[in-house]
Amino acid sequence: MPLVFTLNGDEIRLDDIPDGMLLVDVLRDHLGLTGTKRGCETGTCGMCSVLVDGVLTRSCRTKAIDVAGRLVTTIEGIHGPDGALSDLQAAFLEHGAVQCGYCTPAMVLAAEALLRRHSDPTREQIRSAINGILCRCTGYMQIVDAIEATAAVRAGRNRRTGQNRTAGRRSDREQER
Amino acid sequence: MATPIGASPTYVGNPSLQNVDGADKITGRARYVGDMTVPGMLVGKVLRSAVPHARIVELDVTPALAVAGVRAAITHRDFVDNGPFGWPVRDAFVLAYRKVRYVGDPIAAVAADTAEAAQAGIEAIRVTYELLPVISDMAAALDPGAPQIPEVSPTGKGNLCATHLLRNGDPDSLLAGGQVILEATYSLPHQEHAYLETEGALAIPEPGGGVTVYANCQSPHIARDTAALVLGLEPSLVRVIQPFVGGAFGGKDDIVYQTTAQVAKLALLAGRPVRLVLSRPESMAASYKRESMKSRITLAADSDGTLRAAKVAITVDSGAYASMSPMTAWRATMHAAGAYRYQAVHVDTQVLYTNNGYSGAFRGFGNTPASAAAELAIDELAERLGRDPLEFRLQNCLRSGDCTMTGVRTPGGAGLAACLEWVRDRSDWATKRAAYDEQRAVGAGVDSRRSRRGIGVACYFHGSGLGGEGVDFATARLAVDADYGITLTAGLTDFGQGSRTVFSLLAAETLGVRMDRIRVLRPDTQTALDSGPTVASRASIVGGNAVRVTAQKIGHVLTLAAADLLGCAPERILRSGEAYIGPAEDPISFEAVVDHARTMGLQLSADGRWQVRPIEWDFERGTGEPYFAYVFGAQVAEVEVSAVTGRTRVLKIWAAHDAGTILYPKGALGQMYGGIAQGLGYALMEDFRFEAGMPQALDFDRYRIPRAMDIPDIEGTYIQMLPVGTGQPPVGTGQPGGPYGAKNLAEPVMIATAPAIANAFAQATGRRVRSMPLPLWNG
Repeated sequence: MPLVFTLNGDEIRLDDIPDGMLLVDVLRDHLGLTGTKRGCETGTCGMCSVLVDGVLTRSCRTKAIDVAGRLVTTIEGIHGPDGALSDLQAAFLEHGAVQCGYCTPAMVLAAEALLRRHSDPTREQIRSAINGILCRCTGYMQIVDAIEATAAVRAGRNRRTGQNRTAGRRSDREQER
Repeated sequence: MATPIGASPTYVGNPSLQNVDGADKITGRARYVGDMTVPGMLVGKVLRSAVPHARIVELDVTPALAVAGVRAAITHRDFVDNGPFGWPVRDAFVLAYRKVRYVGDPIAAVAADTAEAAQAGIEAIRVTYELLPVISDMAAALDPGAPQIPEVSPTGKGNLCATHLLRNGDPDSLLAGGQVILEATYSLPHQEHAYLETEGALAIPEPGGGVTVYANCQSPHIARDTAALVLGLEPSLVRVIQPFVGGAFGGKDDIVYQTTAQVAKLALLAGRPVRLVLSRPESMAASYKRESMKSRITLAADSDGTLRAAKVAITVDSGAYASMSPMTAWRATMHAAGAYRYQAVHVDTQVLYTNNGYSGAFRGFGNTPASAAAELAIDELAERLGRDPLEFRLQNCLRSGDCTMTGVRTPGGAGLAACLEWVRDRSDWATKRAAYDEQRAVGAGVDSRRSRRGIGVACYFHGSGLGGEGVDFATARLAVDADYGITLTAGLTDFGQGSRTVFSLLAAETLGVRMDRIRVLRPDTQTALDSGPTVASRASIVGGNAVRVTAQKIGHVLTLAAADLLGCAPERILRSGEAYIGPAEDPISFEAVVDHARTMGLQLSADGRWQVRPIEWDFERGTGEPYFAYVFGAQVAEVEVSAVTGRTRVLKIWAAHDAGTILYPKGALGQMYGGIAQGLGYALMEDFRFEAGMPQALDFDRYRIPRAMDIPDIEGTYIQMLPVGTGQPPVGTGQPGGPYGAKNLAEPVMIATAPAIANAFAQATGRRVRSMPLPLWNG
């Protein structure tokens, strides 16, 4: 069946997507966006995470047709205003949060999803937000550092522009959904 | 300000240094083997044994070839001599020959147009077994009636795969005279590497009968040599390239060499590219694990707390194949009594075949379980002596100039006491230890439902490099390019641990050029010289030295060119940033010096090799010098054990590692944090169990590895040199021969974590555990 959705800001039209095809397969095999990884295909490791309407979503547990009409963001859609690295991506590198790199795209997306709804998370809240994504290399320390630092910089910027830092904050329980 | 070459490090130890591959990884542009596609590519798939032990009665792949879309199907018959491989024991096969020995053993493989066709092909293969008795524990392996697992026993003694011994003095007489004796047996479990990228390879047939394989292995030259041998091709016809690798931790050796040979053969037969990536359950079943180990430890001390002697008997479960177990067991033997001064030590080690998967290299390489056992025993002994476990360790730990348990003086400095003191002071050890002792004494009577806290310590030493495991050398190649960039080709590789960054910074530092001039080629057997395996935390040290030596050669040529250009003696040349400065103090650019060198006809490329000082270990007598140097470290863990759930939660870890000079600080800390996370998993949740040879967990739901919320904040440091002017002598940790005084760190940083947690659990609960992972506490 045909599938139309928005991927990293561009409208994608696919003519014939089998009913049960998974989003991860459409992204990787049909669209060639291999920044989204496969790690277990049972929804446990989080490597395949993408954002669907801003919500962290496992693309190996999501049928492609379920994103019809929705906004999907993959790592390929994350960058700064000038097309260079985003502040979050730069912070990952500055804090040594990248080793083998295999979980990195999913970690960046999980962090982005957190920071979009929560401007000053605690370290525990950051750990909770990335808890669904496994990393075997880093012990998570420098990843948490990078996200915390990015939140602080963004909060400072928002304060300067007069935005409400706590706008959109919800309970931790809700955030894990 | 002009400085002599190399006098003022710019990159070595620079805290702002970033991973040279970081931008590719953080944007998702980095291509791992499963991300690579080429036109006409087929999908490879392997048929694996579902039974732990059986004779193959019939094996026929012709029905698979009849399946639509299947282009090739292979068995052992497609390889020279049925495809044997493996080092140090050649007991494995690219595809099973005559027998299957564990669940996951590869039997046959197909290549097909689609994954569905490949699956149908696998299902069409006809295989019948004659089931054999399963040897599911080490005790049964040596039963006289036990079936022999290998076709040929490497020792001539059935399922005994290898033995090792260590002989230092006469511990028996000292044990007899020791005033306090501990004798206990400790069990450590199998551990799964759980790299998040599973094993895989992409093979492309080449004109002329050769094949190129992109494989996520640790050591491309070994993959090439293994494949060439079983394919019957000249090594030059097999090219192995390592793309980005999603973690390895010791786990991407044998299993990926096997996969490489399978995929290469499929591609050669089909005449088309073939990609094969293991599924997670397939990877968990098929790949080798950290060995499970039993260590029976006898320790004796005087009542004043002086350790006198140790005797250790180790058995290692190698599983179905030897893989690296004979070598991990050797390293275990060399470390089995821990980082302490003894008057005499004997160790006897047996490596046994069973049908429990198979075991091989994993971070710490035998020292992780061996030291865990020793550190649990030392803690128990301290308790019997009525001593604080940390002060007891400080009393007996190796210090500069002491002899290790093998009876050989530690070369270079030993910073272990400094590490112990650092974790003691940072963790507020004495206060917490006293408080938790009191809490336990009081709590038992008052409120059995209250959580209990405990704080525990462990320390380690770890022999650097390969030691007696093999010739410890590496090579590098550097060339100045037409655009004044510098291409670096290294034989040792980066699978996430940051070696490419370390090699780049060492080349830039040594040449006195900007780091962004250095381009590190992907490891490729066609361009890189063989450097032996990338294992044993040796890439920064041995590989780093090779880069340094090579850069010195080019630096020497450039200095000659600068001297010629400036009309002075080479010794008069100074450096300021990249510029070369002569006596007239007029700086000339790196580019100008390169141009001049070319007009002089000088060659601006070089190969370099570096080899560790040879050591001598007498395997027959169990005596000698096992390693050219050692590293040391200590960790403290604070835990809370829930009286309601029984679960142990780690509240904080303090870690100090004696690492000489730190080359790449962010990377070094990342290694420490990551190693600690793996150690925490080893202590609390990771247990790759077999029941009658059947693996009990083949996914991340049942085999849990630590998630972000399982890991506490870690306060870690690298003990380097004491600041000049403190009035104290330097800790003296610089490693003679390490590049810029650097020492190994990637593996040993995980060793203390699990025993420190277990020792903290013991304080919290009053219960000593002698196996991992820790049990639930039930009051």
